[in-house]
Formats: sequence, C-alpha cells, structure tokens
Amino acid sequence: MPLDISKVAGEVFALAHRMRERHGEREEAISFALKTMHEATGRLEGLKQKVAASRTTYLVAEIVEGLGEKFAACAVPIDFTVIATDGSHIDVDRHQAARCYLINTGSVVMRYGTSPAARLASTPRFYGDEADLEITPPGGGRGQAVEGTLLGIKRAVEELRALLELAGALPAGTEVLGLLDGSLILWGLEAYPEFVADVLVGREMVGCLDGMKEIARRLKFALASYISYPRSTDVVNLLRVAVCPVEAADCDRLCPPGKERACDRLSGLRDRDLFFRTLLPGERSALFASRSQIVRSRYGVHRIHFYYLHTGDEIARVEVPAWVAEDRGLLELSHALILDQCRRGQGYPVALMEAHEQAVLSTRDRENFRSLLESALAEARLPLTASGKSTSKRIRWL
Amino acid sequence: MALVEGGLTISSPAGKIAEVIEAQTTLFTAQCYELYGLPALGSLVRTGDVYGIVASAATVPLEAGRRPVALGHDVATEEAVFRENPQLGRLFRSEFSAVVVGFREGERVYQYLPALPARIHGFVYLCGDEEVRTFSRSLGFLETLLHAVVAVPPEELVSASLRQMSRKHADPDAFLIAAGKMLAHLLSDDYPRLRSILGRLR
Repeated sequence: MPLDISKVAGEVFALAHRMRERHGEREEAISFALKTMHEATGRLEGLKQKVAASRTTYLVAEIVEGLGEKFAACAVPIDFTVIATDGSHIDVDRHQAARCYLINTGSVVMRYGTSPAARLASTPRFYGDEADLEITPPGGGRGQAVEGTLLGIKRAVEELRALLELAGALPAGTEVLGLLDGSLILWGLEAYPEFVADVLVGREMVGCLDGMKEIARRLKFALASYISYPRSTDVVNLLRVAVCPVEAADCDRLCPPGKERACDRLSGLRDRDLFFRTLLPGERSALFASRSQIVRSRYGVHRIHFYYLHTGDEIARVEVPAWVAEDRGLLELSHALILDQCRRGQGYPVALMEAHEQAVLSTRDRENFRSLLESALAEARLPLTASGKSTSKRIRWL
Repeated sequence: MALVEGGLTISSPAGKIAEVIEAQTTLFTAQCYELYGLPALGSLVRTGDVYGIVASAATVPLEAGRRPVALGHDVATEEAVFRENPQLGRLFRSEFSAVVVGFREGERVYQYLPALPARIHGFVYLCGDEEVRTFSRSLGFLETLLHAVVAVPPEELVSASLRQMSRKHADPDAFLIAAGKMLAHLLSDDYPRLRSILGRLR
C-alpha cells in the first residue's frame, strides 16, 4: 500500500512549528557561544590546561592554532591535480544461500591548468572467501562477521587504499589534493572487540596513511576528507569546558543526570552554527586536533586534525592527518583547492561528486548482481535456498 | 580497470572513430571515441564489411539521469568551460546512427542489404576518399536512402550524402548530374520531393 501521508502531515507541521518557537532560544545560545568564544580567545593557555585536566562525557577539540582565528584562502596553483575516491557496497544478504559482499570503488583524477584532463573509473571487487567474510582474532577463536556497520568501515578503508593507488601513480613534483568523502576517523569500532580495530585501523588504515605520508615526500600531496553539513560539536564542547564553573570539569562526578549545568546554555548547538556566524565565504577556522579515543590510541603520527570551511554555501568540516596539519604549504593547499572544488562543483567538491557517481550502485545493479549470483549457483547445481521472506518480497503475489 | 584520458581531440578523418553499440539489419548506432568526434551527416562509414550513411547524431549525457547545467557564466570562451571542468569530456557521449546501404565481399561492393547486421563493438571507420569514390561508382544506395525510416527527413539525408560524396570526386558536378538523373528516375512520380532534394545539393 502506498504511504497514507495525510495521517502524518499534522505531526510534520507541528514539528516545524515547534522548531520555529525554539528559534529565539537558539539565537540566544549562539550569541552566548560567540561571547564565550571571544572571551576564551584571550586566555587560551588556561583553557588548554583546563581541557587537559577535565573528564568530560563529550568529545572536546584540542586547540592547535587558536580558537576564533580566521584564515583567507591562498591562491590556487596554476597546475594542480585533484584525486578522489568514494565507495558503495552490496551487503551480505542473510536471506541468500551464498554469503558474499561487493564493494564498488569510484575513482577520479582531475588535472587542471595548462593541460587539463580527467580520468573517471569504477572498480568492483567481490568478496566471497572466508578470510573476507570474517575478521578473526590472532590466536584463533570467535571471529567478527564483516557485514553491516563493519562492512561500511571496511569500505572506508578500501576507499583510502584506492586513493593511495591513485596518488602512487602521479608524477613527482605534482601539487595534489587527495579527497575522501566523510570522516577520516573510523567511528563505530568501539562496539567491536579490540582485534577488529587492530586489523582495520592498526594494520589497514594506518598502513595506507603511512603510504600516503611517504608519497607526500616526493609530491606536494595534501590528503583531506570533506564532511558536508557536519554534525560535530567538538568546538562547542570546548566552550562547554570554558563555561564550566569548576576548575576541572568532571561530568560524571559533579553533574549527575537531572542536575542543572552551566553548559546547558550551549545545548543543541553544533560547530557549524558557530562558524557560520564567524567565517566569511572562503575563510577557514583555526585548526583543531581530535581528542577521540580511537585517534589518540591508534592513529599515531597520523593524528586527525580538522578545520571548518565556509564554502560560500555552507560550513564544511575538513579533516587532515597531522603531517598535513603541520605543513603550512599542504594545509594551505587543502584549503585553497577544496574551496576551488566547491566553486567548480556548485557548492560541493566536483571530484567527490564524480567519484560518487562512479561508485553508486543502482537498484538495477543490485538486482543484476543477485541474478548473477543465482545463475552461478544454479550452474553449479547448488540449491537456491533463499529465505521465504526474501522470496515473498520479490514475488509479491496476490 | 580501464582508464582513458579525457580530452577533446578529434580522431584523424581516416581512422577508427567509433564503435557499434546497437545493430539491426537496416541501421547501426555507434558511440564515438571522442566527444564531438562525429562524422558529418551523410558521410559514408564502414564497420567490418558493412557500409552505412550517417543519418543522425547526438551528444548526450553518459547517464540518462544527469542533466547538464550552465557552467560558463564566469569564463570568456566555450573552451574554457571544458578546461575548467575537465571531467565533462568523460561524462557525455557523442553517438550516431547510420543507415545500412551496402556491403563488400572481397573486392566487390554490393549496394543492397547484407545477410547479417553489423557486429556489436565493431570498429567504425570514416571511409577515405578512394573508398568513397569506389562505393559511389554505383548509385543504387539512393533508393535505400529514400526509403530509410529515420528521424531525419530522407530528402535531407539523400542530399547530405550526395554533397559529401561529390567532394571526393575529381568532377563533383558530373557526379551530381549523374545522381540527379538517377533521382529523377526514382522520383518520376514525386516532383516536389525531387525538387526538395535537388535544391539541397549546393
């Protein structure tokens, strides 16, 4: 049956009405945040120490380059290259007889300047071996199935690996922006046993980042990931620490649930709300470092830093590894070229848009893949023991 | 993984220009290797041993769901739009359809339909001057073109092919007069149509 939209329309309008009513509170919170940011800029050292001494339930950014500082973009080089990758996958279908998944990686190389050119490609890879389907602990024992969230994380690693391959093929001396969509931080691994992060971050992700850092010795190579409409609150949380009335915040001990807190005045704000008010189009914020547990414990020399960028249309979050953050030339290159990509891409980096277009799997692609799988099983005279639920969804009989 | 450099260079006129992506007994459609690398309307092309006359062409997005947007507001030339957006050369395709007008077998050329259609992924060549002269020694293909079911009006197609071919002949006027006579015979009961074609020969 089609959705009876009239049954929810009233609630949708009520939601919009409530948001409108809260608009005033929100403006007040933003003004308070901006005032706090301005005051904290004058006593950064004290705030840094307070952050270091605090124990918070929320993630707080580490100050690297200041707090309210703003930076205009440098000029775009005459000749430069932008490489980008993005992925799409077909998850393990538990209603299917054969366990397997597929990752399709889209890759883009765009050369700008005196001899412009572009290469667009998509590379599908099929995973059906036991070793692909499960991550096992080193000494043996119960493994972790690669599907769902974990497959999403594996895909992010494969996107990075594809980017490493593209970067490795570029001639020396090139000025390059390497772009990924989303975060460089592999969120979500905390829900899995340690050996999963050992493999996916410790070995695979850091291995790729090591390779890129090596490439950055012969190319001017700035690796960055781009997050459109970010939901992160690391900088707002820094302000929470700043307004906390005690010397060192300790959320769990001093502020049990139900207690009114000084930092509640900043509730509901995101970093993008702050920077949309402070940055002019084209400007970037100060650089911050991520204090997330996974980054601090596993990323080593690739510690993730980030800044916010006013693209002209929105505030985006740009994440870079430490070796880009600490090299002024690479940092400025990332800023200038991401802005340039947004300008060429009508508000979103054109290389990421094309990488996505290369990677995306349509409903038809997915059906073709399923048909191929079924044909292969049939040819091998294996039973097509699809689940009753899956069959019923496909046949939709009357 | 096949990576192909993008760009806007147009293939050498005598070389391989396209590849067959759809083939029927009377018509084949080919995708050009280069954006805008299209042969002119009415050109003689060949794939395998099958000859065709280019009857329509189009440049369209590679993916049907993506619609182009205007990009040139801030640049001075049309070339600059592509220079600033090098991916564009990879996101559109130029393709053309050709009416099958004959085939060759050994040294001989026949101006009627071949037993089998062109092959998918067959390379398509723009026929060189000598090959055009050899093919157009006979004008039997004109009857096929007059009856072709294509989007372009057959009068446009016939006149375009004759204009193209006449340029390859040492005496273009003599070639056009011979073709005119042939058309007068074929269209003896349809003077308006004959006039329409003859009026388009120059």
